[in-house]
Amino acid sequence: MAKIIVVTSGKGGVGKTTSSAAIATGLALAGHKTVVIDFDVGLRNLDLIMGCERRVVYDFVNVINKEATLNQALIKDKRTNNLYILPASQTRDKDALTMEGVQKVLDDLSKDYDFIICDSPAGIEQGAQMALYFADEAIVVTNPEVSSVRDSDRILGILQSKSMRAEKGQSVKEHLLLTRYNPERVATAEMLSVADVEEILAVPLLGVIPESEAVLKASNQGAPVILDTESNAGKAYSDAVKRLLGEEVPHRFLDVEKKGFFKRLLGGK
Amino acid sequence: MSQPCFRMKGTTLTSIVLEVVSFEPDEFESQLAEKIASAPLFFTRSSLILHLNAPLSATEFELLVALCRRHDLQPMAIKGVTEGLKSTINDLGMADISQSKISEKPLAENKPVEASVSQSQQAPAEAPAQVETVTHTVEVVKPAKIVARPVRSGQQVYAEGSDLVILGAVSEGAEILADGNIHVYGTLRGRALAGVKGNEQARIFCQNMEAELVSIAGRFVMQENIQNKCWKKPAQAYLDADALLIEALS
Repeated sequence: MAKIIVVTSGKGGVGKTTSSAAIATGLALAGHKTVVIDFDVGLRNLDLIMGCERRVVYDFVNVINKEATLNQALIKDKRTNNLYILPASQTRDKDALTMEGVQKVLDDLSKDYDFIICDSPAGIEQGAQMALYFADEAIVVTNPEVSSVRDSDRILGILQSKSMRAEKGQSVKEHLLLTRYNPERVATAEMLSVADVEEILAVPLLGVIPESEAVLKASNQGAPVILDTESNAGKAYSDAVKRLLGEEVPHRFLDVEKKGFFKRLLGGK
Repeated sequence: MSQPCFRMKGTTLTSIVLEVVSFEPDEFESQLAEKIASAPLFFTRSSLILHLNAPLSATEFELLVALCRRHDLQPMAIKGVTEGLKSTINDLGMADISQSKISEKPLAENKPVEASVSQSQQAPAEAPAQVETVTHTVEVVKPAKIVARPVRSGQQVYAEGSDLVILGAVSEGAEILADGNIHVYGTLRGRALAGVKGNEQARIFCQNMEAELVSIAGRFVMQENIQNKCWKKPAQAYLDADALLIEALS
């Protein structure tokens, strides 16, 4: 039986798809057979981040409508073993997903995979609720600013009231993933600190991903940032995946980096 | 002499008294159902003393007993028995306690339910059948609603007819309501409304006051008026002569 993990946030543009791609890749690199599903029907992005946009023939909606089989729609990742992508449809909208259809696809995938990562669309409407309904665990992606934190709080409430596990009286395991973290701006009180966000949301911290140019570069190149092992963001995602798998790893990149001698000399920022 | 087959003992017993003021079957049943719905657990299979304060015919009396039984109440004794009903009561196998002294207290609304209880102590068997009735009241309190998870933005929790205890935090944009008191052991950042059905004795207690709004029995205070008082401190809110006061718990 696969573990179903939804990556969600409420608010848009906080890094759900980037995180889904990175975490799915990280799990596959650790030897777990993983599939990542794009639930953002109509605004498909995951295939771009994963760099497989030219290989999309059939999509999630085709499978639900029985116009294609699951194996026809699944795209095997070229870089990473054990990793598959189920892309969203670009031409349809979120109403094309049905509860029974999604359940059938997840049940079928559960037989063959260790992890199913559901990349949720933004918002709290049907599309987002569909993505989180069947989840065993949830990674809530949050930026260190008040509106993102409030939206995350809202989606956590929905997780614990409208998901299948909640309806059965069980709970969905929650993880907090703080992205776009900039210690310098936290130091000048322009940004909420890790402690502030943890205090408000009261959810165990899975990881803190520092704001990094590597993320944008990775997105444009279509390679999940976790593969950029030199970058801080890539390292932080690797740590987060280890924690997701139960390892205890100390958090990094939380404090302002001390500038080296040469950097200071050259006036580097 | 052989072993005795039984022993006679005195005992005490608690019961609800249902005083019948007027009897119109349909009306009576709907009011009874409503009353029971307000505290179903309290009334289920309660033994009952019927206090007749309205003239009832034998048929009406039988119907009254049937209605009580239908709603899971167990009438066992009757007070205020008129001459015409004596044989009916006998036939139904119930006791006539018209001679006993019972003081009754109404079940209060919006307060812990007070039930009037009669205790009768029976004299030893050989003594002439003499029933002495003493009364006292006990409070029957509806248990508080306890919420162990944080109350998130957009969620609403209401404790109907009882206190509300929140073990975690109440987020901004969340709303907690209770007919009784509210206790929050995390940080209260959302809206808290106690005594929503008008209980002016209700209070709100929290470990860390950062509320958007605090209200008791309809009177409220907004965040800007809390910030200068006991912001981010353990605090309580209560009504004092129509004014809603918020003060730090020291």
